[in-house]
Amino acid sequence: MNKLALVTTLGLTLVLAAGCANKSVVRYGDATAVETTDINFGSTDLQKVAAEMTDSLLLSPVVGTLTQNSRPVMFVERLKNKTSEHIDTESITDSISTKLLRSGKFRFVDMGRVDAAREQLKFQHDGGMVDPSKALQFGRQIGAQYMLYGNLSSIVKSNQDKSDVYYKFTLRLMDLESGLVEWADETEIRKTKAKESVGW
Amino acid sequence: MIKSLAKRILVTAIFAALSGCSSLQFTDIFQGYNSQMKSVKAAQRQGDFVKAQSLLNERSVSNSSYVLGLLERGRLEFLANNWSASQQTFAQAYIEVEEQRNKAKIQISKGFEKLGAVVSNDNAISYQVPYYEQSMLHSYQALNYLFQHDLEGALVEIRRANLVQENALKAYEQEIHQAQNELYNSGMSKDSLASTYPSMADTIGQVKNGFQNAFTFYLSGIFYEASGALNDAYIDYKRAIEIYPENPYLQQDILRLATRLGMQDDLVNFQQRFGKYQTPRGNGQGQIVVLIEKDIVNSKQDVGLNLPVGRSNGGLKFFSFSLPVYQGTLPHYSQSTFKSADKTYQANEIVRIQSLAAKDLQEQLPSLLTRQVVRVVAKEQMRQKLSREAGDVGNILASIYNIASERADTRSWSTLPDQVNIVRMNVPVGEQTLQVQINGQQKSIAVKVQANRITLIKFSAIGSYTEYQTINL
Repeated sequence: MNKLALVTTLGLTLVLAAGCANKSVVRYGDATAVETTDINFGSTDLQKVAAEMTDSLLLSPVVGTLTQNSRPVMFVERLKNKTSEHIDTESITDSISTKLLRSGKFRFVDMGRVDAAREQLKFQHDGGMVDPSKALQFGRQIGAQYMLYGNLSSIVKSNQDKSDVYYKFTLRLMDLESGLVEWADETEIRKTKAKESVGW
Repeated sequence: MIKSLAKRILVTAIFAALSGCSSLQFTDIFQGYNSQMKSVKAAQRQGDFVKAQSLLNERSVSNSSYVLGLLERGRLEFLANNWSASQQTFAQAYIEVEEQRNKAKIQISKGFEKLGAVVSNDNAISYQVPYYEQSMLHSYQALNYLFQHDLEGALVEIRRANLVQENALKAYEQEIHQAQNELYNSGMSKDSLASTYPSMADTIGQVKNGFQNAFTFYLSGIFYEASGALNDAYIDYKRAIEIYPENPYLQQDILRLATRLGMQDDLVNFQQRFGKYQTPRGNGQGQIVVLIEKDIVNSKQDVGLNLPVGRSNGGLKFFSFSLPVYQGTLPHYSQSTFKSADKTYQANEIVRIQSLAAKDLQEQLPSLLTRQVVRVVAKEQMRQKLSREAGDVGNILASIYNIASERADTRSWSTLPDQVNIVRMNVPVGEQTLQVQINGQQKSIAVKVQANRITLIKFSAIGSYTEYQTINL
């Protein structure tokens, strides 16, 4: 009978312990901390790519001369995703353009918001709500002089023991008037994941 | 007292493990997957995909066939033209497949599953999605993205499909060799199986392995072409033609792209094989590509066999096994034809999924059999023990359980089409009407063709259901 009591206590302890362990916890973390949840494209890769690219662009001598006396107007064309993952490339371009704007050396036009801007101007002119003398004029926007574009490609390999993924991010700056590529750079990322030998 | 209590707890634990909280539903032990899917397939044949979805067994995440349930659901949603729902379901299935792939080399939970499989049957083991099913998953996912006008997303899926096939090729040789070794060690020979197991040679046909899927390569080629990556398209057409060298549309695609890309050596070689290539005359032409999915792939059937197993004492003993098999021969479908203006085009096969499935099963047989040997021997020992301890009642109960639970693993993605055909044609730009003859039915399709662009038509001809979707790439 003693044994039975022991077994019951043990069982109850286990149930209790399992109950405690199951409690989910919410915490705040460092947004720039290295994230290695899995091998797929993650926040650390995005931050690395955006930071290295903007640094390289801002420090390049060509851009130095371009921005000496003026703040050139740029627009970001979409980044092409050539990897085997569904990556939100707009988020990468957002990071890059934000960093460039913060540097104060460039100005941007946002092609993604042209329709919204046109809507607003139309409303100011035809809506009947805005004082016509104070309505903004059509055709006064400034065109971009430079275009930023690029692509993200990857090579993925795996066998029973490990997986390896290599990302290459290429970014280029084109002078829209002359068609010359004024600057280009690439960033590489390599990640490997060794499979654990024993697991649940 | 304590001993009997312990026994009771053990029995309860086994039952709990077998049913409720674990990976196996009660129906899975005693009813094969093929019979569970019968009503679903019947509804699918009538074109009632919503009803078919409602007939699918709900499976929890811990269920051993969870991923298979997702595949079936995704496919039915795809057929119902519910692209975004299908995309989400397939994405979930992909996560499951990836998780399986990335698991540790030795898995403790696998050990428990195998234990469960020893006392019940192979349905307790979590479903391993075969390579050909994985490539179909990505193909449908690519079409899902495409029909939602996201070519870039579609190309991501295409790359994943190609990765699957590359990995399959790498793993192929090694896996087969290993499985045959294990079978030998378990005391069975492959020959004893060959003499009693029904031959699937008719179903398998010319297929060389169970994973190379020309449909995926062709889809990949079209999408790359649409995105302007002609070189990538050329490579995938070349891979497809290795599998289907007779397909005239593929031959034309190869010749056209080889000419366009200036692949001189290849062009000489291909022109010797496929004849001279003539660049189509006249500007203002576009292309129409038709993908025709025909019927539904067969489910695996249960087959009972008596096979000798070598015992440790050197003797042979016959045991009854139940193994999955694809029975019957490949059905022949009436030729589908597409007529545009004065020209008639015949549909040509680009994949026979039934053959891939049968070949894949044939490659799996050695490892299936190894598990089966362990199981029948264990079950026999259980019966002997029970008959010793509980007399005739125990013997009868154990025998009944053994017979009732001995079910072959008939799980496979059962809502896939049997065959996919292609047609490709050059037509003048503008509104075009195609006269289609398919499954004895006449249909006329109106499509808009743009200059130098591809218009894709996806045709599904399942039973009495024939419908199509068009999209400009």
